[in-house]
Amino acid sequence: MRPYVFDVLVIFGAVVMTLGVIGMIRLPDVYTKLHGASKSVFLGVVVLAVSGMAVGGEAMFSRLLLICLALLITTPVTSHVVGRAAFLQHERMSTAGAVDESGSILPANESPPWRV
Amino acid sequence: MHDVVYYAAMIWMTGLLCVCFGLVIRTHSSIVRIVGFDAMSLVLISVLILFSITTESSYYLDAALLLALVSFVSTIAAARYHSERRVF
Repeated sequence: MRPYVFDVLVIFGAVVMTLGVIGMIRLPDVYTKLHGASKSVFLGVVVLAVSGMAVGGEAMFSRLLLICLALLITTPVTSHVVGRAAFLQHERMSTAGAVDESGSILPANESPPWRV
Repeated sequence: MHDVVYYAAMIWMTGLLCVCFGLVIRTHSSIVRIVGFDAMSLVLISVLILFSITTESSYYLDAALLLALVSFVSTIAAARYHSERRVF
C-alpha cells in the first residue's frame, strides 16, 4: 500500500508543474507569469523531492532536504528580484481589471525616487 | 509498476523542459526570458531528482543542488542587469 502513495505523489508533482508551465505560457503579463514560474513549479519540485525522500535511503534524504531548503530560501528572493526589475523597467499590467496598488506609476524615462 | 511511473514522469518532465525552452525562444520580452530560464532550471532539477530515484544513486542530487544555487545567482544577476544595467 505504501509505495503507491509515493507514486501518487510523483503524479501530483508532475501535474502541478504542468499547471505552472501552462500558466507561464497562457497568462498575459510578466507579473502573473511569475506566479506560475515561482510558486507552482517550486511546489512541484518539493512534492517530487518528498516522494524521493520517502523512497530513497539516507544519502538521498539528506541531499533532497538540502535541495528543498535551498529552493525554499532562493525562490521567493528570485521572484521578488524579477518582479522588481519588471517594475523598474515600466512593464505594464495587461490583465483585465488590474490596478497598480503601489500608487507610484512611474512615467517613462524616469528613475524611481528611492535608491536602486 | 513503480519504475513505469517514474519513467513516465521523467519523459513528461523532459517535454516540459522543451516547452519552457520554446517559451524562452518565442517570447518578445526579455524579462519573460529570465522567468522562463528560472522555470527551466527548476524543471531540470526535477528531472535530475527523478533520474536519481530511478537509478537509486544519490550522485545526481549533488548536481541538482549545485544547479539550484547557480540558477539562483544567475537569475538575480540577469534581473539586476536588466533593470539597472549593472549587477552590483
